[in-house]
Amino acid sequence: MDTSMDKVNSDRSTIRMQDLSAGYGSKIVLQGVDFRLEKRAVGLLGPNGSGKTTLLRVLLGHLPAVSGMVKVMDEDMARSPRSARRHVGWMPERGGILPGMSGVAMVAYLGELGGMPPTDALQRAHEALNYVGLSDERYRLADTYSQGMRQRLKLAQALVHDPDWLFLDEPTSGLDPSGRIHMLELVADLAADKGFGVLLSTHLLADVKAVCSEILVLREGRLLDHAVVGENGTEAAPEFLVEGVGDAEAFRRRLTAAGAEVAEEKRLLRVTLPADAEPRLILQAAHQENFGLRRMRRREETLEDLFFKILGREVS
Amino acid sequence: MPVYERGYRRWERSGNRPTPAWWAMARRGITSHLKKRGFLLLLAAAWVPAVVKGGFIYFSDVTRLLGTSWSDVTPAGFLEFLVWQSPFVLIVTAVVGSGLITRDREENGLALYFSRPLTLRDYIAGKAAIIIFFHWAVTLFPLVVLSLFGYAVTHEATGSDLLVWIPLRGLLFCSLSAISMALVLLALSAMGRRTVFVALWWILLVAGSETIAEIMGQFRPWLKIVDFAEQYLNAGAPLFGVARLDGVSPLSSLALVIGYTLLAVLILRRRIRPVEVA
Repeated sequence: MDTSMDKVNSDRSTIRMQDLSAGYGSKIVLQGVDFRLEKRAVGLLGPNGSGKTTLLRVLLGHLPAVSGMVKVMDEDMARSPRSARRHVGWMPERGGILPGMSGVAMVAYLGELGGMPPTDALQRAHEALNYVGLSDERYRLADTYSQGMRQRLKLAQALVHDPDWLFLDEPTSGLDPSGRIHMLELVADLAADKGFGVLLSTHLLADVKAVCSEILVLREGRLLDHAVVGENGTEAAPEFLVEGVGDAEAFRRRLTAAGAEVAEEKRLLRVTLPADAEPRLILQAAHQENFGLRRMRRREETLEDLFFKILGREVS
Repeated sequence: MPVYERGYRRWERSGNRPTPAWWAMARRGITSHLKKRGFLLLLAAAWVPAVVKGGFIYFSDVTRLLGTSWSDVTPAGFLEFLVWQSPFVLIVTAVVGSGLITRDREENGLALYFSRPLTLRDYIAGKAAIIIFFHWAVTLFPLVVLSLFGYAVTHEATGSDLLVWIPLRGLLFCSLSAISMALVLLALSAMGRRTVFVALWWILLVAGSETIAEIMGQFRPWLKIVDFAEQYLNAGAPLFGVARLDGVSPLSSLALVIGYTLLAVLILRRRIRPVEVA
C-alpha cells in the first residue's frame, strides 16, 4: 500500500528536499530544510548569508548533503546525479562564461555537455539565443559581451538542453533598469507560458514579486516558511486601513477588546481582524464609540508584508 | 520585440545519438587550438625533425656515410627520434594544457560544467584527451608517418617491423607517456591560479629537473632519477630494445612514472570541485 510519503517521493514534476543538512567541511550551513516544489515559479528569498546559494548548490549536487535527501524530478541527487542534472538548467550569479568562445559556440557546447546530439545542440543554441534577444550578437566572443548580454547568455545556456527546472541565481544582478525588466519578462514568460519550473534565488523582493507565485524564505540556514503569495491560509487574517474623526483611542480599545489588532500606519489605523471576524466589526466599533469613518479599505498583503512577517514571526 | 512574440519551442529530439561528454570537450579543445595560426606554425615546426629524418632516410645511401642516427629505421633510431621531439612535447603541452583547468576555475567554469550531467571522470578524460592528442601530434603521428615512409623507400628493415611493430611500439610508448604527462600537467593546472604560472611550473618541472639531474648525475649516475621527462624515455626504452640510463633500471623509472600519475590523479580528485571548500 502506498503511503502519502511514497506518493510524494514518486512525483515526477517536483523538487523534493527532505530534512536536509549541508555545509562546507565542518561548517553546517543548511539545517533541517524540508520542502516540496511543484513545477512553477518559486522565489528563494532570504537575507545575505541565509543559505540561498548553498541550497542551489545542494540541488545541483555540487555540495553533498550531510543528512537528508534531495530529489529532482524523482531522481535522487546523491545516487544518480547525472540523471538528476539532466532535468536542471543553472544560471550562476558569478562567472559562468567560458572564455574564447562565441555566444553560439558556448551555448551549443554546453548543450552537448547537457546530453544533446551536436546538430540538435547547435540548432537549439540559435533558438535559445534568439529567444533571449542575442541573435545579432551570437557570433561575437562571449568575453566581449556587456553585463546585460552576459546575463542573457547565461540564461540561454541554462535552457538550451530544455530542462524541466531552471535554477536562477540572482539573474538581475548588475543589470540596468531596462535590462532588469527584460530579464524578468523572460523569466516570467518561461515560467508562465513555456512550462519551465523556475527557482529564482534573489534578495530583491521586487524580482520575486514580478515572477513568482510561491516563496521559500531562508534565514540562517533554516527554512522559515514556504508560502504561496495571495493564497488563503498562508496569508494573515484580513487587514483594513481606516481613517476617521473622533476618539481614536476609544475606537482602538473597542477593536482590541473584540480581538482585533490595531496599529498606526502613515496616519491611518491598520486594523487586523481575527481570522473568523467580518468587516462589520469595524463599523460596529466605530458606531459604538461615535468614531466618524471617512475611509475604510481593505489592505492587500504584499510580498514584502509576507516576507517581513515570516522573518518577524521567527524573531519573536 | 516583446518576449511572447519571440519564436521559442521546446526541444524536439532528432533521434541522433548524443556525443559522450568527454569527447565533446576534447573535440572542442582540439579544434579551438587548430584554428590558431600561431599554434599551427608551432606544430609545423615540431614536424621539421620528422621531415629532416625523412630526407635522411630517403637519401640513406649517402647519409649513412655521415655516421648519424638520422637515417636509422631500426627501433633504436625511432626512439632517438622521440628524444629529439622532447622539446616540442614540452612546448606544445605547455601551450595546450596549462590553462585547461586554471581558466575554468577563474571563470567559475567548473561549477558550470558540473551543472551538466557530467562526472569527474568525463571532465578529466575530456581535458586529458586534448593534451594527449597534441602530444601524439608531435610524437606518434610523425613516428608512424616516418615508419611507413621508411617501408616505402628503404630495404633495410623488414615490412613487419616498419608496418606493424614500430608503429605499435610507438603507440604503446606514446600512449603511456602522453596519458601520464597529461594527468601531471592537469594536476598542475588544477593547482594553479594563473595559466602563465602553470606553464612556468611545467617547464621548470621538465627542463629544470633535467638540469639538476645532469649536475647530480656527475656524482652518482643513479641520481639522474630526478630527471622527470627522462624517466618516461628510460621506462619505455625496453620497448625499442635499448637501455638509456646508467644506474637507473627501466622498472624503477616505470614505478616512478606510475607514482607521478597516481599523485596527479589524487590531486585532480581533490582539486576539481564545483564548489571550493576551504
